[in-house]
Amino acid sequence: MNRWTIGAVAAVTLALPPLLPERHLATFVLLLLAATVTVGVSLLMGYAGQVSLGQASFYAIGAYAAALPAVHGVPTLLGLALAPVAAAVAAVLLGAPLLRLRGHHLAFATLAVQLILLSLLAQADWAGGAIGLQGVPRLTIVGVELRDVGYAYTAWLVLAAALLIARNVVDSRPGRALRAAATSETAAAASGVAVGRHRLAVFTLSAAMAGLAGGVYAFYLGYLSPGSFPVLLSIEFVVMAVVGGLGTIAGPVVGATVIVLLVQLLNTLGTLPGMPDYAPSVLSYAVYAVLLIVCVLYLPRGLAPALRLRRTADPNA
Amino acid sequence: MSDLIGYLLTGLGIGAGFALVGSGLVAIHRVTRVVNFAQGGFAVLAALLTSTLLSAGLPHGVAESGGVALGALAGLVVGVIAIGRPGTSPGTSLIVTLGLGVLAYAIEVLIWGDQPRSFPGLTGVAEVGDARVPAHYLLILAVTAVVFALMAWFFARTDPGRALTACASNRYAAQVVGIDVRRMGLLAFTLGGALGGLAGVLTTPVQQVTFDSDVTLIVNGFAAAILGGLSRPMVTLAGGLLLGVTQTVVAGYGGGAYQLEVALVLMLTVMIVQAARTGPVPEAAR
Repeated sequence: MNRWTIGAVAAVTLALPPLLPERHLATFVLLLLAATVTVGVSLLMGYAGQVSLGQASFYAIGAYAAALPAVHGVPTLLGLALAPVAAAVAAVLLGAPLLRLRGHHLAFATLAVQLILLSLLAQADWAGGAIGLQGVPRLTIVGVELRDVGYAYTAWLVLAAALLIARNVVDSRPGRALRAAATSETAAAASGVAVGRHRLAVFTLSAAMAGLAGGVYAFYLGYLSPGSFPVLLSIEFVVMAVVGGLGTIAGPVVGATVIVLLVQLLNTLGTLPGMPDYAPSVLSYAVYAVLLIVCVLYLPRGLAPALRLRRTADPNA
Repeated sequence: MSDLIGYLLTGLGIGAGFALVGSGLVAIHRVTRVVNFAQGGFAVLAALLTSTLLSAGLPHGVAESGGVALGALAGLVVGVIAIGRPGTSPGTSLIVTLGLGVLAYAIEVLIWGDQPRSFPGLTGVAEVGDARVPAHYLLILAVTAVVFALMAWFFARTDPGRALTACASNRYAAQVVGIDVRRMGLLAFTLGGALGGLAGVLTTPVQQVTFDSDVTLIVNGFAAAILGGLSRPMVTLAGGLLLGVTQTVVAGYGGGAYQLEVALVLMLTVMIVQAARTGPVPEAAR
């Protein structure tokens, strides 16, 4: 993607928040946060060749790590800083044993981790239990309490940081090592790549991105419960990554935008008078499913390369 | 003591359900190398159809067969989409089946709504020793025992069964002797669908079913199947029963809230130990 496109997209998205009505502003913020998590998923799947079906657990860890201290009076900015750290620490602890697994084993292991986390959270009274954590204070930065537009810009910054980090990681020496390991682990290891360490590093990085997005999410919504982070959410992130195009920088943003806007549109359609009350959920499940299947089978490199947004940096080349 | 016998029997009944889901996974995986994420969906679809057929007045037996038939049909459809296109790698197929699992949600909510459903099974209470157990658990066990015996006979003694076993042990050699590997893959998916459907139909009278109960089923089924490396039906049966018993015993002696964790931690441990013993799995997985 050339500088002009990036500049144009940045300018438009920066100009947008004050113009949006409140309902669409919420979609905008959640879209940016989803894109941030998807950047991590895409790094993991596209460059390291690992499927995680539990990415929402790091989103949840970040959200709770930010919200819990804030509820007890710790400055909110400190809580937000804690979010990616907590998610990263969890990723190191979990990744050390789990990343010995590959392919479907890892997919199920990450799914299992998320189910365990949800179940533990639902029983943890100190974290609000199944009812959830209410009254999370709003984010305050240098004495100014953020309003909705402020969250849009915070989320924008978070996504921009994630994209920048992802780009630099991909172009760096460890990034090349990772791509080599994803193509052939044996060959990479034989060439002196510390496969395990690199894999753990990218797992941790993707978790930190999810955690930071989760922190913003917690302050934006002001309410958290285990039900906010269902297994389906993890699957959504995978869908966004695959639809956008694995192993591209623009892919996560394209994927998240397409999916969120489409689901939002169908939601609007589904809640029209005369539609049955199950219409919105049926339509969104169908969208995830059909887009995922069609993309995987017929557009394996995703929408972003198909749109020619970026021609270089093909991990399979 | 009578408590313990009760827990054991209900645990075996529940575990038999896991074993059926898991053996469906195994049937599909050993032939196609695909881990079928939609496996829990077959059980849910079959159970939901059975509840509709029963409330439409069909007798027991017919309604359940209808459910299992729908499971088999769903299996075939999933197979066609997941492996029908030549050159689809197992990794890609896994993502496709994940998508199909979500698609099943849309269909289930559209037709049956999102409320839990159940239907009556075998009524009455059986007395085993001095323990009293709902008779339906014994029915589950009996049916499962028959099904596994039939499977052993099918894989060892019939032509299609032996062709499936041949594909499982060496795809290339099977192709060389004239076995249509793709058709065998579809047969495996159909069989897997029927086994999943049977699990749903059998366990729904003792455990309600909702459109998203497939996650618990697939995770427990996978946990049972992973013990046998996703390729040995009999080990899967043992694994499922062990899992069921452990869960009910844990729940019975006060850890009710931690039932699922027991299965999950067991599964993770088994996978990690297996990976440590064999080293990284072959790279064809990608």
